[in-house]
Amino acid sequence: MRRTHPLRPCGRRLLRSASAVAALAFALATGLISTPAVIAEDAGNLYNTDVDIRMGQRYFERQCSRCHGFDAKGNDEAGAPDLTGSLRNASTDAGIFNVIREGVTGTAMLPVAADVPDPTVWQLVAFINSLRYDPNSVTLEGDADSGLALFNGKAECNSCHMVDGRGGRLGPDLTRVGEDNTPEDLLLAMTNPHEEVAPRWWTLRVTGADGVQREGFRMGEDSFSVRIMDEDENLWSYRKSQIESYERIEESTMPSYEGQLSDDELDDLVAYLFSLRREVQPQ
Amino acid sequence: MITMKTTRIALLTSLSALALSSAFAQEDQFSTVITPAFTPITWERLVNARNEPENWLMYSGTLDSQRYSLLDQIDVDNVDQLEMKWAYQIPVIDRAETVPLVVDGIMFITEAPSNVVAVDARTGREYWRYDHEMPDDLRICCGRNNRGVAILGETLFMSTLDAHLVAIDARTGNLLWDKEVARHDAGYSKTAAPLIVKDKVVTGIAGAEFGIRGFIDAYDPETGDRLWRTYTIPGPGEFGNDTWSGDSWRTGGASTWITGSYDADLNQIYWGTGNPGPDWNGDVRLGDNLYSDSVLALNGDTGAIEWHFQFTPHDVHDYDAIQVPILADLEIGGEEVPAMMWANRNGFYYTLNRATGEFLFGKPFATVTWAEGLDPVTGAPIRVPGMAPTYEGIMVSPPIVGATNWYSPGYSQDTELFYVTSFDGEQEFFKRDEDYEEGERFTGGGGRYTQPMDAFHSSIRAINPKTAEIEWEFPIMPRSSAGITTTAGGLVFTGSADGYFFALDAESGRELWNISLGARVHAAPMTFAVDGEQFVTIASGNVVYTFGLRD
Repeated sequence: MRRTHPLRPCGRRLLRSASAVAALAFALATGLISTPAVIAEDAGNLYNTDVDIRMGQRYFERQCSRCHGFDAKGNDEAGAPDLTGSLRNASTDAGIFNVIREGVTGTAMLPVAADVPDPTVWQLVAFINSLRYDPNSVTLEGDADSGLALFNGKAECNSCHMVDGRGGRLGPDLTRVGEDNTPEDLLLAMTNPHEEVAPRWWTLRVTGADGVQREGFRMGEDSFSVRIMDEDENLWSYRKSQIESYERIEESTMPSYEGQLSDDELDDLVAYLFSLRREVQPQ
Repeated sequence: MITMKTTRIALLTSLSALALSSAFAQEDQFSTVITPAFTPITWERLVNARNEPENWLMYSGTLDSQRYSLLDQIDVDNVDQLEMKWAYQIPVIDRAETVPLVVDGIMFITEAPSNVVAVDARTGREYWRYDHEMPDDLRICCGRNNRGVAILGETLFMSTLDAHLVAIDARTGNLLWDKEVARHDAGYSKTAAPLIVKDKVVTGIAGAEFGIRGFIDAYDPETGDRLWRTYTIPGPGEFGNDTWSGDSWRTGGASTWITGSYDADLNQIYWGTGNPGPDWNGDVRLGDNLYSDSVLALNGDTGAIEWHFQFTPHDVHDYDAIQVPILADLEIGGEEVPAMMWANRNGFYYTLNRATGEFLFGKPFATVTWAEGLDPVTGAPIRVPGMAPTYEGIMVSPPIVGATNWYSPGYSQDTELFYVTSFDGEQEFFKRDEDYEEGERFTGGGGRYTQPMDAFHSSIRAINPKTAEIEWEFPIMPRSSAGITTTAGGLVFTGSADGYFFALDAESGRELWNISLGARVHAAPMTFAVDGEQFVTIASGNVVYTFGLRD
């Protein structure tokens, strides 16, 4: 998930050449363009101060939160996507502006009312962009290369976690973990892994119709069935009606590294993990 | 060609006394083609709808909204023999909340945004479709929903998202009339199936997130002329107007976005009302805010309010009383009571006397933290102080979606139990300051979950309406928005958020049959019969599935 949208300098992508100007002049003269274009060009957002972001947030809470959530994290039931990660229908300021202005055809994402002024929409764009994290603005204490060495060495992170297809299966794939998490999130995940455990990493202890108890990660659970991966990495699927006993442990299987690694080592690991993203970050 | 046709008819005639083998299944399907189209639906047929269980003639099956069908061909012993007979794919991608009607072998299915299609109930193949022409400046709070149609005579009546009521010829899909009920650009919309009451089409309105003033209307089925309108918020000089501070009654919401019920003996229409607006900021509308979050009993001829019962006075959590009222006569304490059963979004179950509106008793049926109980005499909630939304956020149960919501509950005349989809969740509620502007959202806050949905508990609960006690529950994964249908076969049919359609033993809650349909069930099942064979239908995701017993 891409989280960065470095602001483009104002006016960078105005009309590209004299021929484009000529074409536009021709179009205007011949009436090919009868109404002013409402589609925004990607010329950057002029409404991007802290005040604009706050105004955008106020507008968002009022107009958008019913579907997208008060925290903009989306709502599966409404079909409204999470707006705090990469966006489904836009990747630039102008793209976001146009989605808000035009809506998404064939979905419940309706266009904003026609009488809402452009600056308000741009403030909304600024707010939505503020939900994402710009990693370039962060300076870290630790050293990513040392972190990599720890990851595959002393800390043995790779015995459970994969990066780029190499490592274990007993924890989340961390290939792009830097995209969704702040350095503070990453440190907390290592020092207090039970704080927030995604349901996928809860443990289920299941006794099946064969009387054998198996324990494993909660790959999937629904009203009538469960699927687990046991410690030998076997996949099992049960019908709940045939289960003799069932226990759910909503804790992480990951040990805490608090006290196991020095503060400097933790900083190095944070620097390494934070560097794990789709785009190569300058070191 | 003529020869072939003759042969087919001759073949069917010669086989009519025989049981058709599966080799003739295809021929069997064609027999519906020569079945004459349905006969007109009179008011007498609607009043007695339970006595023609082969048909599903209105949104909740019958005027008492029990969703209890006398069909018993599918029962506790053979329900595990159900198999899919056909699927109808809705062409517009959205979520289906439709409860189809079936009239003499023809099924009417509504679709997002506001379309309706008629299919052969035996095969799912189309007779006709009506696509409603829609403006591009809709104001809808919560998705492009349409939950169904009503039928009277040979005409279907449908609510549309642009706040119109349309009449459609049930044989052709032709538009007969199209009336604007309210201005869609001022925040009004319509999503619920209308209810036929004698010679009138009774229908509600949505838009309480846009500062509307709610109402219930009745229309002439022939002309589309409005016959009466009863506002759910009293105007100046009317009883209850002083339960709104200042001018807040003008924008107070109290919408009516689900279908009500009717008692022909008492000649009363029962209809739930939605939240006061703005939803989460009560500071600008001090008072009890009548008749928001209430059930209203209206005179069946005039629409005059005969009694009201407010479940949640001065609501600040969006606890709409948008539930379908279930009516049944119950023996309570040695007396036969004309009862109304109601599991409310606010977390409490209520049994009321529907003749008078008197509160009989009630109890929480799900996790509730905003109130510690109900006043045993009045039924008014006893509030826990400090549970109103704040600027910083405060954790409250039920969450905004409620302990239940608009999803139809069910009642079985055999078990005398009331069945409801329930959710034990919690959410942080926030308050915001907003000014009303026409056509803009006016909600005054919102909410957020702080835990993954899988951490919460959901279930189908069977409640004894004579005691308000929970008799059994069947756990499902959070959080279902499926309705419930019961049958004389001893079954409870419902669905789940994780895409199952399933049947439970109505007596015990025991699991009898399930099938994974793969997409969220957002609708209530219904059951019907054609040519003596019982079917059960459910919408899941964007598809309408019909099941029957193996041939």
